[in-house]
Amino acid sequence: MKDRKVWKKRLYKDRFLYMMLAPVLAFFFIWHYIPMWGARIAFQDIRYIGDNVWVGFKHFRLLFSSPVFTRVFFNTIIISAMKIGFFFPLPILLAFMINEVRSRPFRKALQSVIYIPHFLSWVVISGIFISLLSSPGGAVNQVILFFGGKPVPFMTSSSHIRWVFVASEIWRSIGWDSILYIAAINSIALELYDAATVDGASRFQQALRITLPSIMPTVITVFILNLGFFMNAGFDQVFNMMNDAVINHVDIIDTYVYRIGLQKGNFSLGTAAGLFKGVIGLFLILSTDRISRKISGEGVW
Amino acid sequence: MKRTMISLLILIMAAGMLAAGGVQEQAAAADETVVIDLMAKDFSDDWTLAHLAQVEKGFEEYSGKKIKFNVWPTPEGAYAEKLNLMLLSGEIPDLIYFQGGDETAAAQGILTDLKPFVDNSEIMQEVLLDFNKQRLENYPYLLWVAPARARVAVVREDWFAEAGGKVPVTVDDFYQLFKEIKANHPDAWVMTDTEGTVRMDFTFDHAFGLTATWVEENGSYVYRDVSQGAKDKLAFYQKLYAEGILDHEYITTKWDTMEDKLYTGTVGLVYGTSGIVLDIYNDKLEENQGVSLVALPPAKGVGQGYAVSSAKETRGWAISSISDKKELVFEVLEYLATDEGQFLERYGLEGIHYVLEGDEVVLTDDSANWWPRFHEVMGWKGPTPVLGPAGQAGWDFVGEYAVGDPDFPIPEELSPTWDALQNLAKEYSYKIISGEYSIDKFDEFVKQWYALGGDKVTAYANERLN
Repeated sequence: MKDRKVWKKRLYKDRFLYMMLAPVLAFFFIWHYIPMWGARIAFQDIRYIGDNVWVGFKHFRLLFSSPVFTRVFFNTIIISAMKIGFFFPLPILLAFMINEVRSRPFRKALQSVIYIPHFLSWVVISGIFISLLSSPGGAVNQVILFFGGKPVPFMTSSSHIRWVFVASEIWRSIGWDSILYIAAINSIALELYDAATVDGASRFQQALRITLPSIMPTVITVFILNLGFFMNAGFDQVFNMMNDAVINHVDIIDTYVYRIGLQKGNFSLGTAAGLFKGVIGLFLILSTDRISRKISGEGVW
Repeated sequence: MKRTMISLLILIMAAGMLAAGGVQEQAAAADETVVIDLMAKDFSDDWTLAHLAQVEKGFEEYSGKKIKFNVWPTPEGAYAEKLNLMLLSGEIPDLIYFQGGDETAAAQGILTDLKPFVDNSEIMQEVLLDFNKQRLENYPYLLWVAPARARVAVVREDWFAEAGGKVPVTVDDFYQLFKEIKANHPDAWVMTDTEGTVRMDFTFDHAFGLTATWVEENGSYVYRDVSQGAKDKLAFYQKLYAEGILDHEYITTKWDTMEDKLYTGTVGLVYGTSGIVLDIYNDKLEENQGVSLVALPPAKGVGQGYAVSSAKETRGWAISSISDKKELVFEVLEYLATDEGQFLERYGLEGIHYVLEGDEVVLTDDSANWWPRFHEVMGWKGPTPVLGPAGQAGWDFVGEYAVGDPDFPIPEELSPTWDALQNLAKEYSYKIISGEYSIDKFDEFVKQWYALGGDKVTAYANERLN
């Protein structure tokens, strides 16, 4: 009885905070939890009129039955792993570098410039990259030719195209993804730096001994959450940049499902693929969280 | 008190809305106007809405029946995908335009079998071309009254004249023409395509014996991409690529970049959809380079023609099977194929796209931006030609050379395999054309193709076609 009274008192005291939280909770409930019920169509044949028909794992079988599913699956893993492996550390590094810029107006201007690519669609970005990297007419190859080199088929070579994905992802997202780390760095108590300066620590030592350990919980959380989207290798990017010459090396689950399912109105197949990717993502989040807790004591929750 | 007041207000508003709805229904019933719910791509602009209004008026004069189109808003995003999502919600308009994604709807019985309507329609029997009728036999849910979407080769007239100006007939004639153009313009590519060779295939497929999707070889049907003709064609394309005739960036060239290359003189020859599209290319080339286009026929070799698939319409109009006004909706589609309907469809809006000077129809500059919203009857002749010389020449070639391809839709259970086979063919095609692989690799490709599941699809094709 007493506990209840205390709870009510606290609720009343923090009522404005709860009111501010309510729209967020409603958003997640409406847009992220209620749609989960729709995932059942992965096990059904959908009907425009009348009730859907339960078909068990039919759509999963169709998904896995393709002679190229293994290749599509590994393409997804390779492209995702390359993106996470080569891209993930860069926004952290950028946040460190921006933090070292002393001039406030210059820092603001720099941040604005590096955020802009995030707001461009992949249709536009792929157009830019195709123009830049085409062989032999692209700007990059013109420079290579000018210096007596041989044109490089960036867009049509299976050994180059995945790196084009990584490079364009970096170009588009490095600035935007650094925001979180810049915010984490800004929340570090300035007294720590003052004390380190008094002790004679260099800027590099301060970054290594104070900044990096302080933002490590943020880094770990972002990394684990990113793994949840591991199977999303980037539909928009791959779809807009792929071509016939490299299709078998860059075809990912999403582009494959789009072609054989969604374009033909087979939404159950698309949902089955989404569910399959979601299960892998959940497994990755839970297992990485557990490993991280064991090693560093930090996890998502 | 406050609560009572709010309740009363809600009651009054609800009663008002009900009453208003009732009045509207009564009004609709009184003048016997039938509302046709319509869903189509890009139908919400002012010109289209004005056109629909003139179609309503024209139909009333034609049939004495009053109709009113109720255009449903098109969801943002890929049309085929969003349309299907909307249909899934159970909302199904009377008349639906499909551009892909129709098979699922047809398989579930929400689309009307149009075959009986077409069979009993004198107008449709007259305006539909043979391949349209064949497609309706195979798949009776989509009606599309338009010429075959064949891609016709068009070349800049100045480059064509410099190269002798003789219309090529055989594959060798084409090659000689290409070589001449290249010699005159060594810094330019002679021609390009978009993300593959689909467009140029229209000109060369038949010449290499690829007269259908499934061609006969040694007494059975084989898929055209793994036939001897495909090998010969790839060897020819490889030569064009090696000699700088075919644009080295054709594989990453999208349709807008292809047009840009034509208008800027980067290439001199492209392949465009016959009809109005060729006129658009022509007008823009005249605007940018001051020269016109010359249309070229398909190359002659083993055969000569444009393969036109008989499998099914890839786009077209469908009528909902749950609509209670199917007959009326079909009658509207019929009307649009008549002389009166085609006048509205082809000339657009009076005062904007054309003006009447006595009996003469004078096209305005805006007429170049008008396109028929429903039908484009190939045999219709208006008082003033709608197409320019390039567009008309393209149509004439299609009329003369279009050949039916007894193709068929691939069943759902084979579609993942078919997708894999297509991708394998595309990759080898590019690698052979670009010289990365020698033509000898073609035989390795054929073996891989059959091992990947091509044997199953080929067996199915032979079962269907024999």
